[in-house]
Amino acid sequence: MLFSMFLRSFFIQAGWNYERFQNLGFAFSLQPALEKIYPDREKYKTALLRHLQIFNTQPYMASFVLGNIIRMEERAAVDGGAELKTLPGVKQALASSFASIGDRIFWGRLKPMTAQICLLVWAACGFYGWLFTGMNEDVPVGLLLAGPLAGIAVYSVFSLYIRWKGLVDGYACGGANNCALDSANWPRLIRLLSAAGFAMSLAIVLLSFALLAVFNCVSCRPGDVLLKLGLPAAVLALHRVLRALGRSVFFTAGLLLIISVLLFSALKLEPFRLYL
Amino acid sequence: MITLLKTFISAALAGLLGLDAVQAGQFLFSRPAFVGPVLGWLNGCPLEGARLGILLELLYIDFIPVGGVVPPNGTAAAAVGVLAHSAGGLPPSLSFFIGIAAGAAYAPLESVLRASRSRLNTLVEAQVSSGDFSLRRWLARAMLVENAAMGAYVLALTGLAALLGLLPGLAWLYPGADFAYSLIPWLGLSGLYFRFRAQIYKKG
Repeated sequence: MLFSMFLRSFFIQAGWNYERFQNLGFAFSLQPALEKIYPDREKYKTALLRHLQIFNTQPYMASFVLGNIIRMEERAAVDGGAELKTLPGVKQALASSFASIGDRIFWGRLKPMTAQICLLVWAACGFYGWLFTGMNEDVPVGLLLAGPLAGIAVYSVFSLYIRWKGLVDGYACGGANNCALDSANWPRLIRLLSAAGFAMSLAIVLLSFALLAVFNCVSCRPGDVLLKLGLPAAVLALHRVLRALGRSVFFTAGLLLIISVLLFSALKLEPFRLYL
Repeated sequence: MITLLKTFISAALAGLLGLDAVQAGQFLFSRPAFVGPVLGWLNGCPLEGARLGILLELLYIDFIPVGGVVPPNGTAAAAVGVLAHSAGGLPPSLSFFIGIAAGAAYAPLESVLRASRSRLNTLVEAQVSSGDFSLRRWLARAMLVENAAMGAYVLALTGLAALLGLLPGLAWLYPGADFAYSLIPWLGLSGLYFRFRAQIYKKG
């Protein structure tokens, strides 16, 4: 039953809509368990309709709520429905709490880390073509795919683990308002992921500047080196300032395009590359 | 003819991978970093595909899908970017900026699709009330519509990019676009760095 729900939970957002958010996917995920709990078709129908109401949380963390709700439904089937009085409140409270935790862990930290892992795998294998856009090397397709796949693998192992653990832990403590919220030290995990992400960011930025310096050092003309190290630093500073002003990264990209077109297309300045 | 066939296959594949973003799985196969090299490989330009993909990824990680917000679509961005280069014949730099715009422009379409799914609630409730408990076909239909929309969008935008490539005098833009493109990795790195720096130094 739990495994079937686990598989179905991958489609929890398949029917995402603005009116009731994940309700269709949530009810779909619960179906195998509800069918087992309520052999009577009328009771099964009532239970299914109950879970077609509004529901929204972070998709990976939804399994904590799924496990919990199934345990509550099992009790409701035995006690004649008394448990059902608290069910909507528990469901809502857990959905909000786990959404907040999941957004921080998955969207705020692990997702950007997949890009970092990709860059680090490429760097470890000696591919820097992503940093120097005009550089044309002969790179094996396997390596080009290995970078993103490594990031996806790390992310997926973690997300699959959380999905399964959520279902099991939620089922074990079902019924409580704070059920499974203590199944991990979430604040510590969030801090650890932030620290790891920052360390990787710093390593990638430093490596990039070091590569730029090495590529430009061949010319050994201080003016050249300064300009070509200064420009990327200026881009970082520009992004920082515009970000503080509330502008998105697309605005900065558009601004860079407009300035470049003005300088190198309209005013016909001699274009140059950031590396030799 | 082969290019056209590859473009159709790529658009269909983009539609399929795009489902991973919200509707099925969420394993990150829909991210530009993966879509870029896969479609690039399929269309004979794996290096440019990988480069476009990771650069789009670095910019797109700035957007987080919390609270029902529809962020710009990275799958559409990477697919249109790669196909504008491979099938449209545009340089990678211009294809990249077209990809950014394509991803951002897909968000309103995605909002419309999500809004249109709201009417399913009444239909599903009526069906369940009548004793038919199958929810699978509604979810499959929703995914099919999303898949078709993404595929058609990628095809349409690739066609527009190919038409753009036929414009006389377009080459005038290339030096500026190439230079701006060479600065994009640094813009992406900046986003990556400041995202985690803000988390580390956040008070409280």
